[in-house]
Formats: sequence, structure tokens, C-alpha cells
Amino acid sequence: MNIWHFFLSVALYGSLFSVLTLALNFQYARGGMINFGTVAYFAAGAYAYAIITQEPPSGLDQYMFGFGAPWWLGVAGAGAAAFAFAVVTGGPTLRLRGEYLALTTFAFAEVFHSLLLNERRIGNGSVGLPNVSRPDFGSLAAYDTLIYTGAAFLLMVATILLFRRILRSPYGRALDAVRDDEVAAKAIGKDAARLRFQVFVLSAIPMGIAGALYAMVTTLVAPNLFTAEVTFFVWIALVLGGERTILGAVLGTVALVAFQELVRAVPFESVRSAQIAASIEEVVTGLLFIIVLRWQPWEKLARKRTAKCQTTISSSTKSPSASLL
Amino acid sequence: MSDNYLVLDKVTKRFAALKAVGGDDGLSFSIRKGSFLGLVGPNGAGKSTTFNLISGVLKPTSGRILLEGVELTQTATASISGLGLGRTFQTPRVFGSLSVLENVLVGADNVGEGLRAALSGRWRKADAALAARAMELLERVGLAERAGHRVSDLSGGELRMLEVARQLIREPRVFLLDEPTAGVDPMLQKKLGSLLVELHKAGTTLIVVEHNLHFLFEIADTVVVLQSGQLLAEGTPDEIRSNKKVIAAYLGAEHAA
Amino acid sequence: MLLAQFIVTGIATGCFLILATIGFSFTRRVEGFLNIAHAELLGVAAFATWGLNNVAKWHILPSALAAIVLTALVGLAIGRLVYDPIRKHGPAVLLITSVGVAYVIGGIIDGIIGTGIRTLNIPLATTYRVFGLRITDYQLMVIGLAAATAICLAFYLNKTRSGLAIRAMAANPALAASRGIDVKATSRAAWLLSAGLAGLAGVMLAVIATLSTDIAFLQILQILAVAILAGLGSLYAVIISGLIVGIAMDVSVFWIPAGYRPLIAFLLVIVVLVFRPEGLAGRKTA
Repeated sequence: MNIWHFFLSVALYGSLFSVLTLALNFQYARGGMINFGTVAYFAAGAYAYAIITQEPPSGLDQYMFGFGAPWWLGVAGAGAAAFAFAVVTGGPTLRLRGEYLALTTFAFAEVFHSLLLNERRIGNGSVGLPNVSRPDFGSLAAYDTLIYTGAAFLLMVATILLFRRILRSPYGRALDAVRDDEVAAKAIGKDAARLRFQVFVLSAIPMGIAGALYAMVTTLVAPNLFTAEVTFFVWIALVLGGERTILGAVLGTVALVAFQELVRAVPFESVRSAQIAASIEEVVTGLLFIIVLRWQPWEKLARKRTAKCQTTISSSTKSPSASLL
Repeated sequence: MSDNYLVLDKVTKRFAALKAVGGDDGLSFSIRKGSFLGLVGPNGAGKSTTFNLISGVLKPTSGRILLEGVELTQTATASISGLGLGRTFQTPRVFGSLSVLENVLVGADNVGEGLRAALSGRWRKADAALAARAMELLERVGLAERAGHRVSDLSGGELRMLEVARQLIREPRVFLLDEPTAGVDPMLQKKLGSLLVELHKAGTTLIVVEHNLHFLFEIADTVVVLQSGQLLAEGTPDEIRSNKKVIAAYLGAEHAA
Repeated sequence: MLLAQFIVTGIATGCFLILATIGFSFTRRVEGFLNIAHAELLGVAAFATWGLNNVAKWHILPSALAAIVLTALVGLAIGRLVYDPIRKHGPAVLLITSVGVAYVIGGIIDGIIGTGIRTLNIPLATTYRVFGLRITDYQLMVIGLAAATAICLAFYLNKTRSGLAIRAMAANPALAASRGIDVKATSRAAWLLSAGLAGLAGVMLAVIATLSTDIAFLQILQILAVAILAGLGSLYAVIISGLIVGIAMDVSVFWIPAGYRPLIAFLLVIVVLVFRPEGLAGRKTA
């Protein structure tokens, strides 16, 4: 594998999964919700795209639906499907706190996965839907990977702009208030439930579109691509980059993708050594995760930076208090 | 001036077996519009519970609470603030990730808080006007210099003033304050007192729970004394000061303590 | 008849779930968080047993005991090194951290064991016929162990000094410390106990199931279901809840395809959390 391929891969998957991490950042760091079922919204988008764009079933096909629609309809449908899934799963559950919400979202994702695996009529069960329809690039077909990378990058940028726009407005302020102290926020008239619901369902849309893009790239949607591993991958990426910032979400994702691609790029002689490398990758990832959670280096850096700003701005301040958060 | 602006009608509140508020007949009293009511009583009198009942955090076990005829007891807690009722908390509750100025800004019912407005960006003009009002309020409470600071830089008393400013931007008709002088140094207390007097003069109805009677009696125009969840006395500060039953209640509490 | 047979296997499944979940609920009760890595400890025990039994050619009994001790020690180490220092950050952070721990343990097991399925070097199960229903000796063992564990645990927590100390600490650590309870030693005992229980469950898993390296993760989903149905933090309800989930899962095969068996567990989780988050035990906590 050459350097160019490596960078392209990292750019493509880094951008694609960054969308998921950004959505998680929006939901967790700003909305205060722990979503352990992230993969389900991704999968809903991917499957929706595949189903909408594929040919109707024939012959030995086990699946039931196929509409043969153009790709952009598939993408729109993907966003809509993820949105709908978020509405259904978010509605009854968002009033749950912390770990309880984590568990329900996790359970919903596993239910969805189980349905995809067992209900052949949806997506051929464990076999999945192969030959996912891709847009026709005509003469540019040779550059399709480049085009997809560009598309993923654009999607990521669009998602960043969308979330930033929302967060910088009074809406974002109200969101922060609700996350900081829900009781006080209610005392000034903030509808915490409505805000959280909106955040949850809105952030699902980019996740669904990312799923559609992923389906186009892999040309196969199968349940084993959408397991809880994806959810944990996104969570680890989020934590590694520092949960709070948008830039951190992107950097964390790219770093994690690069790390995994690096391990995959090494030509191993035996299956066994490849396995061991994969295991080491798991262990290192887990350790990094634990370390970052424990020592929270990003928080400390952020604190140092704000403290420095404080002392330069104000000349007559009382002694700065001990900790920021 | 209308009587029966805010009315407690035979209100009781039980927590399991304990009847915290309301004797056999329940607690009943009414507050005139624009009055400055002090709610006092020895420890365990049920002041906080009554406060929480009026502000909608707790729902009464029986009885009704009415604001200008609207039954507060039927309204959802989150919407009470929309009726013009504002409150502060015993320990100041502020938003740690927002700056001092933002803490006040977020208090207002902002058109920009709708998702559509946030997306379209149509909130900037309104927000700028709001920022001007917020700075005025920060001036009033003496925090104008700290507008850009993090709330962790503020002292307890300053946090209290911030909470007040945050409610004031909502222009509440009825403003409830829960032990506002607790942990506040005397100079800031004076400032708080004069602020409350200004609000009173401007027509806001004020209900203040306080242990610091010296502070309260200077500025309130009506005082309600509770004991064991029931109404012990009601009147002007002077009347209450000389009320034998009240003195006995406080002395009795001191002896028992 | 077939339904009754499913109920019988359901009881065995349920008893295994009880063993697997009781340590998990114990951690929740005492340490205050949901330890996702608990399931990986089952894997540690299962593969340690296999390693000693199949590779080092030990007899099954010492293999099992050694595996349980090893698992208990691993659980203790993780508890002291990883979880205790970050307890102050709250249950949500601990939950998220336990995901990282699960990754590390899972990765290590993957690395050492590799892929493929493993089985223990033990005699094949003997089936007994009782009233026309079939049950194996290993299933009876699981049921027996579950019952014995429940009784011993109840005795330990109610009658022994260290057990009572653990309960006191779970209820109110500050108060317990001020009453002279050695917090460090008690915490150590708690970690050892929950990990040891996981070890026991892991050994049983190795006995009744075929081992693959992802088997531990598959368990966490069912453990969660049992724990949530019981009401997080309650121990006695785990017994009832384990049986309900076990029987429900096995009996459901009567009506729906076997692939959906785990689905029952998750649906239960969702239904319970949405309608009655406090579970069977029923105390609404903050």
C-alpha cells in the first residue's frame, strides 16, 4: 500500500466517521445525553440508501423492497430514515438520565441490529445487500475514490458549519444552560425536554447521510458492518480528541482512523501475527481511552489557556479560583 | 392595588407522614399586588416548603395557589416561569460554562432560542439589544466589570447578585427570593436591599424568605410569620416586631435549640 | 411437552444469568456504576480454565479454582488501579471508562487466544430424564451453584463482619469510615467478591458453552437485561429477574426464530427502562 492510498483512506474514513463523532459531540458535550447506540442511526441511513436505490427483488433475492431510485433520493432518504429512527427512539427515552439513557440507546441499537440480521425481508439478513447502487460519474469514474473522499470531506464541513451555527446562537446558550443546571434553566423558562429532543433528532440526520455515503463506498451493506464496535469507535474518537470541542472531535477521529489504517497497512506474514497486531491495536486504544478519561489532558490545556487569557485581560482581579469546572 | 393578587387557599403539603405545611384548615393568606412580603419563622416553620409551593417546584397535597385567578397548582413547573414568576435559589445556581454576561443573557426569553431562528441567524439584532439590557442590569447589581469573566471567579455574594440579574432580565411580575442575604457580606447586602426597594417602587411584587430579620424588616411592607407550617401572624414589620406571640415563638425556638 | 422442556432449559439459562449478573449488580450496588467490563472477566475465567485444563492438562477442578482466583485478582487490580481513582467523576464517567477496560481485556484475550472455538477437556454431558423432560448434569450443576451462591452471598452480607462492612460502605461511605470501618480493606473485599463471582460464572460458561473470543461481549447484553429488570443495585431481585429472562429467552424459541433470542433481552431492557426504570426491586433512586 502506498502513501497516497494511505492518506486517501484516512481522509475518506476520517471525514466520514468525523461526522458521527461530531454528532456525538453535539449530543453529549453540549446536549448532555449519552448515546451508546450511535451505530444504529448510521446503519439506518446506509440501509435506507441501499434499499431505496436498489432494483426491486427478483429471482433468488430474499429482500422485499427495492425502488431503483436515483442516488440523491437515496441520500435524502437516508437522512430521513435516521431522523425517523431518532424520533422513535428518542421520544420515550430522552427523559432518562445518564447511564439509563446510555443503556436504552444501546438496547435500541442492538434490537435494530438483530432485526437486520434476522429479518431477511429487510436486507437479506446476514448476507446483506451487495452491489449497492452508486452514482454514475461518467468519464470521471476512474477517480471515484477521490470523489467520495471529497464528498465525505464536504459532508464533514457542512456538519461542522451546521452545528457551529446552532451552538453560537442563543439556542446554544440555552442548551449549555440546560446541560449545566437543568433546575435553574427551568426556572428561567427553558424547555429542557424539547431542547434535548431537537438536538437528538437533528444530529441524527448527518449520521444517516454519512451512512449513505458509506454504503456507496463499500458497495455492500451487511449487519456485521454495523455493530456496537462502531459505536465504541466513535466514542473513543470523541474522548481522545477531548469531548468538548469540534476540532477535537475531528482530530480524535482522524488520529484513530490513521492508527487503525496504519496497523492494517503493515504486511503481516501470517494470519496469526495480523491477529496479534489487531489485538494490540485494541489494547492500545483501550488504554489511551482510559488514560485520557482519567487525566483529561484537554481540560487541563483549556484551563491553562483561559487562565492565561484572564490574567492578560483584567489588571485588577482577585486571585483566580482553583478550578474551572 | 388589587387584593388577592397571589392567594394561598387552604394549602397543605405532606411529605410521607409529616405535614410540613398547613394545620387542620390548611395555610391561607393572600398577597396584594406590588407588595413586598417577608416570609419568616423559626427553623422548621415551613418557609422553604411554602416558598417552593408558590414557585411551583412542589405541588400541594391539597388546596390551591392562585396568581391573578390562574391556578398555579394546575400549571406545569416549567411553565410557571412563563406566568411571570421568577425565583432565586438558596444556594445560587449559575451556569458554569457560560460567562457572567451570558448567564444574564440566557435568562431572557430569546427569540433566537428557537431552532429555526438559530439556523437562519435572525437573532443577531435582537441579541445585541438584549446584550445592552443585560449590561445595564449587571451595572445595577455591580457586576459590570466582570461581564466577560467565568462564573467561577465570582464570590458567593456576587453569584447571588448574578442570579438576581438573570431573573430581572425576564422582568418578573412576582419575584421570589430564597434567603438572599445568606453568605453575602454587609456591603453587598446593602446593595441588594436598595435593589429590592427599587423593584418594589417599580411595582414588582416581592416575596422574600429570610432569617436576617434586621435586613428584611427595613424594607418589607408586609410580614407573614409561620410556625410549624401554620400562619402565626401577619402584618407590617412594626406590628410583627411587637407581636407577643411572635416573640414567644422565636424565643421558644432559641430555648429549644 | 416441548414448552415444558424449554422452561427447564430456561431455568438452567436463568441460573447461569443469575451467576453472571450477581457480581455485576454487586458492583453497581457497592461501587455505584455499571461495569461493562464485568462480562470480559467472565471471558478471563473461561479462557483461564480452558488454558489450564486443555493446554496444561490439569484436571478441571483445580483449573476452575485457579481461574476463579485469577479473575478475582484481576478484578481487584482493575478496581484499585483504574476505577477507584476516578470515582469522584461520577457513574457516567466510570461507565464510559469501563468500555475502555473491556477493550483492553478483550484485546488481550484476543491476542493470547486467537480465533476459533475452544472446548474444555471434560466428559460429555450426561442427560437425565425426569418426568419425560431432559436435563443434563451440567445444567443441574449450574442450578445448584446458583442456589448455593445466592445462599452464601446472603449469609456473607448479613452475618459476617466484612459483609456488613461492605453494605455499610455501599449505603454511606463517609459514615462507614467515621464508624471505624477500614474503607480500603472493605473496598478490596468488594472488588474481589464481584470479580470472583464473575469468575465462577465464567467457569460455568466454559463448561456449558463453546468458547469463542467474542463470547464475553455477547453476555454483557443479557447481563444488562437481568440487572435492569431486577432494578439496578438490588441483589435478591436478580434471582427472580435472572429466571424470568432465562425462561423468557428460551421459551420464546417456541414462537419466534432462534436468532431473535437475544432480542428478547434487549426489548426487556427498553420496556423496563421506559416504563419502570427502578425495575422489580422498585425503589426510585435519584
